[in-house]
Amino acid sequence: MSRKIERLINLTIALLATKRYLTKSEIFRTVEGYEGSAETKERMFERDKDDLRSLGIAIDVGSFDPLFNDEAGYRIKSESYQLDLGEITPTEVSLLSLAAESWQGAAFADQAQSAILKLSSIGVPADPIDIPGLSPKLANSSNDLETIAGAVGSSDYLIFDYLSPKLLLEKREIIPIALSNRSGFWYVSGVDSAVQEVRTFRLDRVHGAITVRNNREAFEFPSDFEFDQIDSTSAIRFAVIDVRKGKGHALRALATSLQDLGEWDQIKLPIYTIEFLTAQILWYGDDVFVHEPSDLREHIVEELQALLVNHE
Amino acid sequence: MSKNVSAPLLRTARLLDLVPFLNTHQGIALKDLAVHFDVTPTQMTADLMTLWMCGLPGYTPLELMDLEFESGYVTIRNASTLAKPRTITFQEGVALLLGLDLVASSLPEDRTDLLTAVDSLRQRLTEILGVPIKLSVVAPASGAVSTAISHAVQTNTGLEIRYHSLYKDQVSERSVMPLDLYDSEGHQYMRAYCFTANDYREFRVDRIESAIAAAVPSDISTDSMNQEKIRFSIVGRYLSRDVAERFAISDMPLGKTIELSSFSRQWIERSVMASGGAVVLKLPLNIRSEVAKSAQLMLNRYKEA
Repeated sequence: MSRKIERLINLTIALLATKRYLTKSEIFRTVEGYEGSAETKERMFERDKDDLRSLGIAIDVGSFDPLFNDEAGYRIKSESYQLDLGEITPTEVSLLSLAAESWQGAAFADQAQSAILKLSSIGVPADPIDIPGLSPKLANSSNDLETIAGAVGSSDYLIFDYLSPKLLLEKREIIPIALSNRSGFWYVSGVDSAVQEVRTFRLDRVHGAITVRNNREAFEFPSDFEFDQIDSTSAIRFAVIDVRKGKGHALRALATSLQDLGEWDQIKLPIYTIEFLTAQILWYGDDVFVHEPSDLREHIVEELQALLVNHE
Repeated sequence: MSKNVSAPLLRTARLLDLVPFLNTHQGIALKDLAVHFDVTPTQMTADLMTLWMCGLPGYTPLELMDLEFESGYVTIRNASTLAKPRTITFQEGVALLLGLDLVASSLPEDRTDLLTAVDSLRQRLTEILGVPIKLSVVAPASGAVSTAISHAVQTNTGLEIRYHSLYKDQVSERSVMPLDLYDSEGHQYMRAYCFTANDYREFRVDRIESAIAAAVPSDISTDSMNQEKIRFSIVGRYLSRDVAERFAISDMPLGKTIELSSFSRQWIERSVMASGGAVVLKLPLNIRSEVAKSAQLMLNRYKEA
């Protein structure tokens, strides 16, 4: 095994050090470790190229001599091999360490750790940040994050079972474009194959494993996607409700305007979905009264009638 | 490195990363080096032995890497080709970008120096990734609050907090001694001794509106009262994901009685109200009749209006 590792390292060094493309025969003649029949060497080399590529090392294939286009040559461009973050300051090193440590014990912990090793190899010492207690953590992470990030990188399809609002499992297929975390929950957004539009899914509502299917077609990232589409603040409709003084704190937190009515305050707040807002309003019982829109009022009245019938 | 990379390849990657690390950490103790790369000292010695055989074509002492590690301290020379660290992988970049976003949303707003630095790092990392992936993390709690809590836990000091209780629909001011922070069901909680309640309490961090360092008594009374859980039972009328998530039940067999318990009577009543027609509260009877009374009261108001 260590012969193979030596060969891979020697090949990397040779392809990095060369200023021009090396032909296969040059590689077989000069790089240590290529032995056996021509066919064996050929097979070894093909496998080695794949192995280096799987480590993220890009091998550039070009012509040995621009005038004679007969034999392919190989090299690794140092600009694609080396980490280039430009000038990096000690404060930036600390911020990157904090970013990596936020994954402690969570999904990307290994990736964050190997990134930090590479960064520390730059040799810039960290300058600790003067905010005591600053150590944010990415909690509740799911192992699916790695799968999803991989699929974003190659624009592959993700196929999974998703729990619908009616508590039924539905098959969904998306090309993922975004990962986000809101209020401690992870979301993946992607172009849904069924509707050809961006949809967002909460990861803890995905049941079972996520399957990845290779996408061989070109994929264009939707350029108009913004995260505020998944935040409730982008609602187009608004509700007008009365909230008793000193009550309904969660609804007050969403209010875009407030009018003092004495015993009550009248607030205006965005409607994300009627169902979601209905549940929030009913939570506060008779401390909240809905004025408009009428469909929200009707929905509340229907639910109240059902509650009355169910509990009489 | 992703999990599906085989062991020899993982080792190749480690050796490639070892060279630039040694270049900037000349004379590092072999056992410290092993810790950095998360391997045993024996494995690290084997790695260095392998590396020692590698170099530029020709492979005479002039072209091989010059490694010295017999003394237990490692130095490297003649390794200029691999001297610079490898570029980060897509997954490593995603990990750093998400982490940076969390750091940015945890920083105080007036630290524009640090916020600008995070922005610049994000831009440079995004450029390296070469794929326009969108990544965003918003810290669930205010940065100032979580920072104040972590600091209080580390230094064993007290806090004055403003806490919003969703069940009681109240904002209260409390004096607490934070003990630790933990995560459960997607939310972060602070365990603390509350001097206002004279008992141990758990607070959801995203509902703490402010936290300021404050002096608290050093003796914590141990005769805390134990709360009893209230048992209740519900029956599902139709399937609803919101209801399943609200009552933290994995499935909802319709028409079957589901037995549950909670510390708060208010929580039970409010959760049943919020579920509308999807759920029937069977027991306890006193909360059940409160639900009917509230519903009647509210219906009357809507009819009058």
